Amino acid sequence: MPYEAVIGLEIHVQLNCATKMFCSCANRPGDKPNSNICPICIWLPGAIPQFSQDALEHAAAVCLALNCELQQESAFDQKVYYYPDLPKGFQLSQHHRPLSRHGWLDIMGEDGNSRRLRIRHIHMEEDVAKLVHETEGQTRISLVDFNRAGTPLVEIVTEPDMRSPHDAMAFLRTLRTQIRYVGAAECSMESGTMRCDANISLRPLGSQELTTKVEVKNMNSIKAVGSAIAYEIERQTMLLDEGKPVIMHTRLWDPEKNSTSPMRAKFSGPCVPDPTVPRIVLSEEWISRMRSRLPEMPAQKQSRFIQEYHLSDEEAGLMSADRDVADYFEALVRENVSSRIASQWILTRLLPALRERQQEISETMVTPQRTAALLAMIEREEINVKAAREIFADMFETEKSPAEIVKEKGIKQIGDADELDTILDTILADNADAVTSLRRGNKKVAGFLIGQAMKASAGKANPKILATLLSRKLGLEC
Amino acid sequence: MNNDIYAFRNPDSGSPSDSGLLAGIRMVLQPNMSVHRWPTTAGTRALEGYRALEDATVVKRLKASGALLVGTTRMSELGFGITGDTIQQAFAAGHCDAALVLDMLGEGRHSAAKAGLFGYKPSYGICSRLGLIGLIPSMESISVIASSAHLAVPIMDTVAGVDSQDFSMLWENLPDFGRASTSSIASTRIGVIKEQIDELDQEEKEAFQAALLTLNSTGLSTTELSFPDWPLFRIVHQVVGSTEASSSAGKYDSVRYGHRASGADTWNDMYIKSRAESFGRLIKAYLFQGAYFQFKNYPAFEEACRSRQVLVQQSKDLFDRVDILALPTCRARYDAAHAATIADVYNAFSLTVMANVIGAPSATLPHLVTIGDTELGLQLISRHLDDVRLLSVALQVSELQQRDY
Repeated sequence: MPYEAVIGLEIHVQLNCATKMFCSCANRPGDKPNSNICPICIWLPGAIPQFSQDALEHAAAVCLALNCELQQESAFDQKVYYYPDLPKGFQLSQHHRPLSRHGWLDIMGEDGNSRRLRIRHIHMEEDVAKLVHETEGQTRISLVDFNRAGTPLVEIVTEPDMRSPHDAMAFLRTLRTQIRYVGAAECSMESGTMRCDANISLRPLGSQELTTKVEVKNMNSIKAVGSAIAYEIERQTMLLDEGKPVIMHTRLWDPEKNSTSPMRAKFSGPCVPDPTVPRIVLSEEWISRMRSRLPEMPAQKQSRFIQEYHLSDEEAGLMSADRDVADYFEALVRENVSSRIASQWILTRLLPALRERQQEISETMVTPQRTAALLAMIEREEINVKAAREIFADMFETEKSPAEIVKEKGIKQIGDADELDTILDTILADNADAVTSLRRGNKKVAGFLIGQAMKASAGKANPKILATLLSRKLGLEC
Repeated sequence: MNNDIYAFRNPDSGSPSDSGLLAGIRMVLQPNMSVHRWPTTAGTRALEGYRALEDATVVKRLKASGALLVGTTRMSELGFGITGDTIQQAFAAGHCDAALVLDMLGEGRHSAAKAGLFGYKPSYGICSRLGLIGLIPSMESISVIASSAHLAVPIMDTVAGVDSQDFSMLWENLPDFGRASTSSIASTRIGVIKEQIDELDQEEKEAFQAALLTLNSTGLSTTELSFPDWPLFRIVHQVVGSTEASSSAGKYDSVRYGHRASGADTWNDMYIKSRAESFGRLIKAYLFQGAYFQFKNYPAFEEACRSRQVLVQQSKDLFDRVDILALPTCRARYDAAHAATIADVYNAFSLTVMANVIGAPSATLPHLVTIGDTELGLQLISRHLDDVRLLSVALQVSELQQRDY
């Protein structure tokens, strides 16, 4: 029987606030263990949580970036369970009254059509402490690092609208782009600032029934989310085909083995309204102020790039997916680089070069101004593209201007026709066979001859002028 | 020295200050209020060896206004009820003029009434809870026991008011205790609840009626009102209170502080053993009850929260008709000091929990409701944030009483 997968995601995103959610300790979980703690986040008797306005603003930005409706009133609950990573015996989370509801993201489906996937709600919660298990001699001990306790998170809960691993991965990529755009979080699954659990169930294709779902955890990349879902669909298909029941439980993804295995269920406790953290009441004014602070989002930017800079759909998509890339692109255009050249140079030269050097586009010393200066030299035919690549590499090492580098290296393009004429004559004399072949109409040979001439000029010749000269000499059509 | 009375005696309480609103006033606290470096064990083994890292806001304010902190008296476990409480003895020994008590069921008012003293629990949300080791966050407030209503006024004036570190407080329209005075309370309307009086024994009724006569003789008229849902106050308090208590006590896991049982193999085992050894019977019963509502009967908790909203609204309506409710503070037949079960506790505190449920201010006045030598206390409750009027009435009544003596 053909089945349809029904997939929903629960995504935890660590907000990049300077402080924790209920105290002013630094939000730096990676520091020396227990260096960012205070009476509130280790919950000494008499502590009172102080809800951070900054965390609220970050969380609200995430909600708006994901097209959610901010609720005028929301509140914190106590998620009660006993575990050493939880200093209060409960976790402050918004269970009954989340910060926002009814969001959505559009993704490109496998069939190439756009699909809207709904988000049920987004709520705020504090992270728990980190446990480290060690042995001291023969004794097993557990150490608690409270640096992470109380750091601000949002949890995004989707509707079960996804039908395939593709949908889930596309959703996560779009979500990451949107959140990074508003600057509220890093959203890296690899470094743990975004965590995703997937709920998967199968039902006969065409049916609307609700079937038993299985939760899968511990995926450390977006790709792993796809693989884990694919594995789980296959596992459940086999069960159903064999007439065995699917049992509701949680499974752990093992990236080494590329499979999931059942884990002991973590006790899920009740959620009781917290009597101490005040209700969160958002005024219309506050919400519209937050909205006005949002940057131009990727979809809007993409269509503007198509209109304003005449980029193709694809180019505009690539130029708008990352806010820093988009800023770089527009800076190049402002420096009078043509939009096509700007986007191509960023894609084929700048981004690979940054990746190779592990630099961020926002931090690199190869600023848009310097890149624009280089591209202008190509445009003016002072250097050829090959030389430009070489100079571009140097620009990551020195702060000198492209013009200075050209001067030092003596790689200014030879555009002087007389000089090129001499070089070309030598090449033609040395390659009589090729010349004959070209005259007979084998146009490919032209490239070979120009290549030889480039080589003879140590790469400095202007290939365009060489091509013109060659055609003229042999009386060919250009 | 006086170890029967004190959990901790301040070694340098003897340097009197001559400036400040409370200069020279001797005060005792309870060990569930943080005083820098003092043992702060809240009457429970779960906090064995725990010393406060900083002053509670109310303590900071007492110190700044020149009060002398005598020490902390012995107290009930986690401040639930007054079993084992020794405040009365500290007063009887002449060691202090006033005391602070965290009032969650009526503990402050009960201790005051039994000792023949003035007791006052302010409106919810006007005194900082920072540094107070509480149990029922939505119902508890610091309260004052004092030798007279007059002394309670400057103490309240000192400890109440916005604390920028307690985000759960009210931020505006806070009462100005400096304005409490004996002036013009003639138009104050006093009400008594029929359903509440019906619950009293004959002796209690008579003692209470005598107090009402005294009030009438001061020119205050009383009206009888019906409040059919009156019996719900203690039920709502118990369900919501025990549930909050269960959460509040979740932090006593022996991981970071307090008593840790030895010989546990796993942390779960460590939790269970440590908590089993840390808590006494009464608190265990209360926490179990709360855990029952959290884990097994959440709808009952939700129902109690809804009922609480209804009670708040009905009380508001009541306070449209009268300014002050009068009732006894204690029951004669149920002794709060010897309450051993949850039922005992709620029987003893049945008259005081209303103010905690609705967050209203409440005072208890001595020598007005008595059966022989037993003080029951005259309890006055006013609407939320009407503290100044309540204290003004209390001041006037005590003044007239003194004149009578």
